[in-house]
Amino acid sequence: MKYEPQAGAVKLTMLLSGTVFLLMMIFGLVLRASQGNFIELDPAIFYQILTAHGAGMVGSAALSGGAIMWYFVGKYTKLNPVIYWLFLGLFLAGVVLILGSVFIGEYGGAWTFLFPLPAISGGAWGVEAAVIFCLGYVLIGVGFLLYYLEMGYRIGKKYNGFSGALGWRYIVNGDLEKAPPPTVIAAASVIIFNSTGIIFGAIVLVASIVNLLLPEFAVDALLAKNAIYFFGHVFVNATIYMAVTAVYEIIPEYTGKPWKTSRLFAIGWALVVVFVQLVYFHHVLQDLVMPAWMLALGQIMSYASGIPLIGITTFSLCVYIKGSGMKWDLTSKLLVLSVAGWTIGSIPAVIDGMIAVNKVMHNTLWVPGHFHTYLLLGEVAMAFGFSVWLVRGKAKKTANNLLERLTFNIYALGGFGFILVFLWSGASSIPRRWAVHLEEWHFHSQIGTVFAVGVVLATAVLVMIYTAGLVRRETKK
Amino acid sequence: MQSSILIITLALMALVAGVFLFVVMSKNSAGTAAKHNKIRYQLISLLVIAGVIISVVSLRYGSHALASSDAVVINVVGGQWWWEIDRETVPLNKEVEFRITSEDVNHGMGIYNSDFQLIGQAQGMPGYTNKLVMVFDKPGTYQVLCLEFCGVAHHDMINEFEVVAAE
Repeated sequence: MKYEPQAGAVKLTMLLSGTVFLLMMIFGLVLRASQGNFIELDPAIFYQILTAHGAGMVGSAALSGGAIMWYFVGKYTKLNPVIYWLFLGLFLAGVVLILGSVFIGEYGGAWTFLFPLPAISGGAWGVEAAVIFCLGYVLIGVGFLLYYLEMGYRIGKKYNGFSGALGWRYIVNGDLEKAPPPTVIAAASVIIFNSTGIIFGAIVLVASIVNLLLPEFAVDALLAKNAIYFFGHVFVNATIYMAVTAVYEIIPEYTGKPWKTSRLFAIGWALVVVFVQLVYFHHVLQDLVMPAWMLALGQIMSYASGIPLIGITTFSLCVYIKGSGMKWDLTSKLLVLSVAGWTIGSIPAVIDGMIAVNKVMHNTLWVPGHFHTYLLLGEVAMAFGFSVWLVRGKAKKTANNLLERLTFNIYALGGFGFILVFLWSGASSIPRRWAVHLEEWHFHSQIGTVFAVGVVLATAVLVMIYTAGLVRRETKK
Repeated sequence: MQSSILIITLALMALVAGVFLFVVMSKNSAGTAAKHNKIRYQLISLLVIAGVIISVVSLRYGSHALASSDAVVINVVGGQWWWEIDRETVPLNKEVEFRITSEDVNHGMGIYNSDFQLIGQAQGMPGYTNKLVMVFDKPGTYQVLCLEFCGVAHHDMINEFEVVAAE
């Protein structure tokens, strides 16, 4: 029988995150349809949906990534289930506050809560709604910190100290047979950089809340912007770095070749810890008061971040699957797609990270073009690949292969079509986050809407496949 | 410029997608571990060398410019939801320094040419003044659009100026 650490809680989490992914994709479809003039949305409603879409997608990606990493780290060391339920409870409480602030309080300040917009809405929402939105984030952050403390403590205990779990002592020498598995190294690395990111996020959130309640408490706008983008960049990246443990753990089941820790793997993850924290400067390339060296560092780190991804995870995956004769089912297809989507998405991201390019691409639709590539075709595909794998034992017998093939093809083609339209629109200088598009931009959004319909339908079927597998499995028990 | 960026990006994306398709469809195994390591180190070396060259060249020629002492100064203030530009006309072929700030929240001053292509931008931030240096080599009407989400009428934040031959 397959070892399933805390499988019930993880399965529930994947059901929640899968359902929220679907709901948020429907929100995204509505936004694109509105920009394409297929439907009419009041701008205030548009920006509220945009806010919910952003916060909901990042939240679901983090939740699913967190569940995947917990599940696989649980294979190597016992984790306290109470902490996981606390993490999930705080997360859901945070979601309730965020949804309440958006759809009851009419908060529409985008998921990035860029200071001082939450406090200066021009009459669109009240201070209370903005405070509740920020508090929702704080709850989610506290939940993640508890999760990381527990995991860090346990893997540190198991692998001779936290530095042992990071695998850094195997970079130069040391017996690799005793090195932690890739999943543990990934977990330890994520714990370092995402805890740092969340702490910065918490500081700027608390400062924003105090500013909202006591406006005389001034916060420096540039400092707040740096803290927000540091937190946001690290947090979003962490979602993928947590979820990639599904690739490390599941793909070997298909290829028959274990994903082993090598010196290069340890070096790669050590670099990721550094690069992920330094790359956020590429979000402030148009803040010309920033020191020039920081902007140059942002560009260089943006490029450098792609090297461990391409040279280690992508390259290793290609070596493992090439000629392996592996079985191609929904899980393996989604997991390989996820690494392809992540790698392909890094290209427009790195190009936008160049100052010369950023001058004419920043805050155009190029930006959602690249982040949808490595989220929609990266993290989300990892999450659904893992979900289907979780229930495949019983679901496999009754799975409709034609339906699964069709679902995967529509998801992949719809996803690529969707992101390519964004990139084309960005190259056509269409701004992002505009509720009302000029007439000459409608055609772009209309094509984007068509691809979005495909993605939404495929995702609905993925959620159904997972739910059916879950029900079948639980009924059998 | 944007068309070239798009073409290069799509070509690189297609290259990576092609590698994945080749690997997935390949019937032959990837060979020995020694062969993999050799290829992997070559790939990483290539990425590092390309990165150094691209970084040096693009930072040398693509970074933000600083204004010379005889640049024409134009003050720009952003607010919810308007742009205040203290000159209606901008001289052709002369260095111009936009000094951009904000009265309330963050805004993004995006400058669009008469073909509605974005040709430059900088953030407008409360408490700070960003200096954007540009030279306009074509006369005509240029639009200023807000590129940083700033609230419920963000998309209405449009203004314009004329670029005219200097007298």
